[in-house]
Amino acid sequence: MMNDVVKIRGLKSGLQLLLDKNAKFDEVKASILEKLTTGDRFFIRGTTVFMDKNSFSAEQTEELRRLFHRHGMLFSDKFPTATAPKFEQKAASVSAPAPPPKVDPAKTTIVVNKTLRGGQEVRTESSVLVFGNVNPGAQIIAGGSIDVRGTCRGYVHAGAFGDQTACVVADKLRPIQIRIADLIARRPDDIKKAEQAERASIKNGYIVFEPILR
Amino acid sequence: MCEIIVITSGKGGVGKTTTTANIGVGLAMRGNRVALIDTDTGLRNLDLLLGLENRIMYDLVDVTSGRVHYKKALVRHKKFDSLYLLPTSQIRDKSAVNPEQLVQLCNEMKSDFEFIIIDCPAGIEQGFKTAIAAADEAIVVTMPEISAVRDADKIIGELGRADKENIKLIVNRMRYTMSEKGDMLAIDDINEILSIECIGIVPDDEFVITSTNKGEPAITVKESVAGQAYKNIVGRICGESIPFFKPPKEGFFTRLKRLFGML
Repeated sequence: MMNDVVKIRGLKSGLQLLLDKNAKFDEVKASILEKLTTGDRFFIRGTTVFMDKNSFSAEQTEELRRLFHRHGMLFSDKFPTATAPKFEQKAASVSAPAPPPKVDPAKTTIVVNKTLRGGQEVRTESSVLVFGNVNPGAQIIAGGSIDVRGTCRGYVHAGAFGDQTACVVADKLRPIQIRIADLIARRPDDIKKAEQAERASIKNGYIVFEPILR
Repeated sequence: MCEIIVITSGKGGVGKTTTTANIGVGLAMRGNRVALIDTDTGLRNLDLLLGLENRIMYDLVDVTSGRVHYKKALVRHKKFDSLYLLPTSQIRDKSAVNPEQLVQLCNEMKSDFEFIIIDCPAGIEQGFKTAIAAADEAIVVTMPEISAVRDADKIIGELGRADKENIKLIVNRMRYTMSEKGDMLAIDDINEILSIECIGIVPDDEFVITSTNKGEPAITVKESVAGQAYKNIVGRICGESIPFFKPPKEGFFTRLKRLFGML
């Protein structure tokens, strides 16, 4: 049966494509297309689909990537790290020096140890922690969340690759514009300045600001 | 030991050249040997502010292209013997001088002066990159105005990228009465955004305009409040700790007088 050429497995961070070793590219593509168009419940918009890098040539991989993008999904040929139990890792390191575990960029944090000034930009798939201010005219575009230990007056986009659970936290949160995943908000001009740290996150389809303690 | 300071701002018209002239004169009044280099090629102004336009023989482009030695191009100030100006060309443009040439020139001049002050052109392009190349220290001039502060912030970022970490701030054309009323950015707001050391606040002062037109920097005029502020800045550059001028709170009668146009 044609459908068996591609199997789909659910992962924590998305879906994995399991391909039949003997399958040709055209068969695989046709099978994927069929699954996509028949509206399989696996394929929710914004889900990341993972595939082994070496399955096909770069061109073919790119073709698949476009196919998924057309259907609103993200595609990756880099596997998310399997969060292996610790004891297993230890056992491995005894027998042979294990290769350093690959880290999912969405789960890492990069630290910016200075004030981001106008015209400066941080663009990353990870989360971002800023020890300083984000001044007007500066930009942060992060795949994960954004934490500013200072005043955030710039342009911030958390969950830039579709993560709706991302949030933006700052000691003083007054960005020019704030985006989380595919939502955009602007702080009202006349709002009373909150003296407390605040967090912006998505609630019921809106970006909501709320004071937090820290 | 020679200090090379660049005066820059990003935005035009905030008072880079005025600041350069005043600090230059102020340092010379204290007996330092000072050279001012105008790098605003094509739009030279510094000679006008110092009243030296009619004494120019050669310019910066002549020096960097190797036509004359810099000593021939330096113009000595008419009042202060230890103040020299290296003017730039009015005819050529910013591409006529490159960063390496300016670095080399400053290295040659180092031994003859205690201070070399470079007047930077507005903008963040070629001219700016040339002007900052040789400097050990930068003074960013801004105004209590949102666009000037934004540009200053950008400039500080650019200076950081060029590995210039010693950056000081001067806030020019401050109007205390306006900022108290909240009609103008207050010093605290500016300091919070830019977060670099502020070495002076220069009040808005009509003397600056008249003295510019006369070619005598405000620092030489005793009655000028801006001149006094520049004197304090010069002191701070020389390492003295001078308290910041606090505007006296307007009393009831002063306000009444102002109301009736008596002040």
